[in-house]
Amino acid sequence: MAKKRLVFTLLYQQGAFYLSRNFRLQRVGDLHWLNNNYRFASIATAIDELVILDVSRQPRDLDVFCAMAAEVSANCFMPLALGGGITTMAQAETLISNGADKLILNTALARNPELVRELVAIYGSQCIVASVDYRREADSFAVYVDQGQERLDCPLARYLADLEALQVGELYLNCIDRDGTGQGYCLEVLQQLPPACHLPVIMAGGAGNQHHLLAGLACSQIDAAATANLFNFVGDGLPRSRDHLLDHGIAMARW
Amino acid sequence: MAVEVAIVDYGAGNLRSVRQALIHLGVHVTVQGDPDRLRGFSHLVLPGVGSFRRAMELIRSRGLDQLLAERVAQGVPLLGICLGMQLLAARSSEDGETQGLGLIAGEVDRFAFDPVATGLKIPHVGFDAVTPVAGSRLFSGFAQQVDFYFTHSFRLRCGAIEPVAATAWHGESYVAAVEQGVLAGTQFHPEKSQANGLKLLANFLERF
Repeated sequence: MAKKRLVFTLLYQQGAFYLSRNFRLQRVGDLHWLNNNYRFASIATAIDELVILDVSRQPRDLDVFCAMAAEVSANCFMPLALGGGITTMAQAETLISNGADKLILNTALARNPELVRELVAIYGSQCIVASVDYRREADSFAVYVDQGQERLDCPLARYLADLEALQVGELYLNCIDRDGTGQGYCLEVLQQLPPACHLPVIMAGGAGNQHHLLAGLACSQIDAAATANLFNFVGDGLPRSRDHLLDHGIAMARW
Repeated sequence: MAVEVAIVDYGAGNLRSVRQALIHLGVHVTVQGDPDRLRGFSHLVLPGVGSFRRAMELIRSRGLDQLLAERVAQGVPLLGICLGMQLLAARSSEDGETQGLGLIAGEVDRFAFDPVATGLKIPHVGFDAVTPVAGSRLFSGFAQQVDFYFTHSFRLRCGAIEPVAATAWHGESYVAAVEQGVLAGTQFHPEKSQANGLKLLANFLERF
């Protein structure tokens, strides 16, 4: 049985890294700043997987993004997942040839399922991570695409069942209401998963401390706990969190 | 002889992370696909992703199968990673029955357990535990169970115990690593397995 994972997500836009709160972005610094202030390579030894998302609100430059990803991950010896605005096979191929072990898809899942099928056929299910942004509503959950700007009519439970049928490899569930708040994951969303869902679930949105990561990973349906919170988890935050999770019996890899 | 590593590039897959890991260990690394220019290295690394059949077609079309057999016969250590380890075996049923390099006695087939009954997934993806065989050079200095990063749907099985350096379990027992003379191979990706993987690569460079 594969081990549970601690995932760190870097949010990138036009040359700099960002914090996100309810999907509003706040610039924190460029790569130089990240390395100088947070010794990124050293904290990277505390995580199982690195995700880098191009969350640019303006037009993206894929080559610049790939160059940045290569530099960030040069001394990271773990799987790398890249995504943000993938709309064509050519873009996917560029990301793969630049070191992506997995591709993160979001808006394309709703707008271009044919692309998703093609990507699954060529690269395999294990390469395709379905990122789903959602909000809690009065008595249901709503799916949003296009960086949280467009609400879909399709309820979350049906949307997730459709993604399973598309044969994506994993689900990355990000709660817009909790994003960047540090209030903990929205664990109630697990009830929206299809019955007998076999897809690995990465929880995102809301982790503010190690107790939130533990609460997530203690759930049997959750395979990975993700955080994009640079301020709460860099420095020795991630290594200490990993120790905390191992001390509490979470089956994670040791090295 | 100084450590001079060549990564064998047969035109499939992304070699960046293997190269980065070797550079991190402080050795000189060359990526090379021309058999005439793959002599003179102290160690060879054969990576690989994708289908066994496609990889063997590319390897044969470039004459790399003969080069690898020749170098191994000359005593040059060769490490196969993931599909690269499977390619060392006699055959695989992936994408149609295909002959491998035949450098170790073993056969590659899809995981044969029932995913629904076991609740285990195919492909097998993620960090998972392997059990090294006592006395293995690749796993020198490791504990009795070590975690490495896997991503695969096919697995190697060996009739004899001789080439087996480590086993793992995913619905069934399979070969996680091999070593025999100058040959070594890992089903997992040492270049994506944090400190454990770097240590295994260092063992290959020092002990082979």
